[in-house]
Amino acid sequence: MGSTRKKLSIGLASILAVMLFLSACGNNGSSNNASPTGNAGNSEEPVELSWYTIGTPQKDVDKIMGEVSKYTKDKIGVTVKMTMIDWGDYNQKMQVLTASGADMDIMFTASWAFDYVQNARKGAFAPIDDLLKAQGKGITEVLDPAFLEGSKVDGKNYGVPANKELPAQEVWRFNKNLLDENKLSIADVRTLESLEPLLKTVKQNNPDVVPLQVDKNFMPYTPYDYLIEKFPLAVKLDDTGYKIVNIFETPEMKQALATMHKYYTAGYVPTEAATLESSSDVQATGKWFTDKATTQPFADNVWSTSYGYPIVSTPQSDALIYNLSVMGSMQAISANSKNKEKAMEFLNLLNTDPVLRNLVDSGIEGTHYKKTDANYMENLPESKNYDMPTFSLGNVMLTHLNPGDPADKWEQFKSYNDAGKPAILLGFNFDPTKVSNEIAAVQNAKEAFWAPLMTGTVDPEKYAPQAIKKLNDAGLGKILAEAQSQMDAWKTANNK
Amino acid sequence: MKTLGRFAKDLDRNKALLLMVLPATLWFIFFAYLPMLGTIISFKEYRVSGGFLSSIINSRWVGFDNFKFLFSTDDAFIITRNTLLYNIVFIFIGLVLAVAMAIVLSEIANKKLAKWYQTGMFMPYFLSWVIVGYFAYSFLSFDRGMVNKIALAFGIDPVQFYSEPKYWPFIIVIVFLWKSLGYNSVVYLAAIMGIDKSLYEAAMIDGANKWQQIRNITLPMLTPLMTILTLLAIGRIFYADFGLFYQVTRDSGTLYNVTNVIDTYVYRGLKTTGEIGMSTAAGLYQSFVGFVLVITSNYVVRKVNKDNALF
Repeated sequence: MGSTRKKLSIGLASILAVMLFLSACGNNGSSNNASPTGNAGNSEEPVELSWYTIGTPQKDVDKIMGEVSKYTKDKIGVTVKMTMIDWGDYNQKMQVLTASGADMDIMFTASWAFDYVQNARKGAFAPIDDLLKAQGKGITEVLDPAFLEGSKVDGKNYGVPANKELPAQEVWRFNKNLLDENKLSIADVRTLESLEPLLKTVKQNNPDVVPLQVDKNFMPYTPYDYLIEKFPLAVKLDDTGYKIVNIFETPEMKQALATMHKYYTAGYVPTEAATLESSSDVQATGKWFTDKATTQPFADNVWSTSYGYPIVSTPQSDALIYNLSVMGSMQAISANSKNKEKAMEFLNLLNTDPVLRNLVDSGIEGTHYKKTDANYMENLPESKNYDMPTFSLGNVMLTHLNPGDPADKWEQFKSYNDAGKPAILLGFNFDPTKVSNEIAAVQNAKEAFWAPLMTGTVDPEKYAPQAIKKLNDAGLGKILAEAQSQMDAWKTANNK
Repeated sequence: MKTLGRFAKDLDRNKALLLMVLPATLWFIFFAYLPMLGTIISFKEYRVSGGFLSSIINSRWVGFDNFKFLFSTDDAFIITRNTLLYNIVFIFIGLVLAVAMAIVLSEIANKKLAKWYQTGMFMPYFLSWVIVGYFAYSFLSFDRGMVNKIALAFGIDPVQFYSEPKYWPFIIVIVFLWKSLGYNSVVYLAAIMGIDKSLYEAAMIDGANKWQQIRNITLPMLTPLMTILTLLAIGRIFYADFGLFYQVTRDSGTLYNVTNVIDTYVYRGLKTTGEIGMSTAAGLYQSFVGFVLVITSNYVVRKVNKDNALF
């Protein structure tokens, strides 16, 4: 009897404990908020920065962050704890972590993962304009001004873009073995239409090869700059009147869709392209002739190495700097961070100091990699425990060169960046808050026929008018009007 | 004081039972009742400012604005129709087949074989929809699918299943039943095993054949369980299985008329803007309709037979 009563009281006590624990969590959340934002600086005690970044978690992260901390403790009085979240989980986990007000200092963000503009508007990131002036001078010196200009959200910067290739250029990639086999030349190829004779030859001579590899993410190139990725509103690249149009109503897109449908009927495109998740299957077998890709300096070498057979490419568009290209990889400082200044000091060092940058990128010299020359390195077997995505960790132009890289790799990157011209919408970010109901409806209307039309699966003569009607019924007109008024305001404010 | 004393006495008398329900009670408090407070987000434009609580408090009230996107276009009709019709079909065909399968399994004389079948039917329940989606794809793919290969061998033209909406209501129902039937029939099988064997013996002495035994003993004995499980399923009638309608259909745009349901609509609509308030609103709408339906159908059941009702 006595013992059961005891058990009950243990049970009750544990409930109380859990309750207390939970309420403590709640308090913690609000006290975080109340505490002053900058208590670092004069204290001797090093500040621990918590850094969230994208990538498959690596075994040796803690070991390397230990080394990093030793280095940064002396230099700027911070230690670093890195948390890696896998590619597929990053978006969702970061949404939850931010929404719940978790304690984070630095986090990776981009246009394609943990959406930079969207989360900046929701208040997830701290504005860094003042911090850049005070603690981040090195960053502003290193970066091409287009990076910071293009990544402004409503006039403010919220993230430090990684210094890497700046313009985006669409190319046709070719499987060189098939080019040689059929004695084809790519000198005259640029437009979608100009591919036709090549596709025809390949279809005839190599029936088991996909002449034009296309998956559900494919979009034919048109000279327009999109407001939102894969959303039908766009502005023509040379339209100084900044008029937003529905992409399906433009002559260029109409022609491209008709050509795609012609190719589809001719059997140049995979039959199930509209539901094909990715092209990795045919890339592995090499049974494809050409496809569309975004290039960067030495991309042909990178592709050839990763597929194991030679790839050549030829441009289908000019190299332009889009919003998406400046927001490809960024580090933001959390709005909840208690050490914003220190975080910026660290980011500054990361983007300017080759020792730190290479330590973070490749691990410990002698353990994970060895130097073969002043600038060249070679991975050691241990590097499998620390294989990081270089582009996501800041300035790539400080990193050591890999075997086979040309000595002037980064100079070529710089001249490629200098040659890039800004696209028309660089710096304009549409704020969808007022029309989020319409966006939800239009997204659903759009998804129903986007991939079928873009891949040429369906006849645009018949389906494009239906698509336009459905989009308008779902409220595209209202979104367009709202976007146009934001655009006009932005135009006036920036003297465009 | 007196009532408190009685309460303590009650507590003491039932302590063993109370202790047994304690884990479930705690689970419900933390994972069902406490999060319910979060429904407040569906009336707000959620913006981060500090911790979770202060973010909720500081976010702007927007009334019912977050619910609008669910009803603003003709898609509202399509998604509601699809969600409801599929679920009604799932509930009824699922019920009939599960009970039928359970009876068949219970009548198999070779118990080893019966276990073997049962496990075989049960397995698909544990597969994720992504994997089931690829199973379906290996049947339905245009150039490599089994169905089209067989059709070709018989001289029939291959079909592009992933762009032909007319086949999908059947494919979806079949795939759903294949995955869930085993689990549901095991529940009924367990109930059949619990029926007093002397009932069947008495029936046999009276000369009842197998069919009469099933109709007059097994089915009436299963009725309460069937009612309760159906009532619970009705409560979730506004929730569609996201994986089934997204992964198995390979998110094919041409099929949306017959495959777009509330859950996929919400996902597609909000992935660009990521408004937490709007997705919470959709969830609240689904559970509210489910709640109303459970209460009504439970009321109807009570009118017919009080013992079969949930509460």
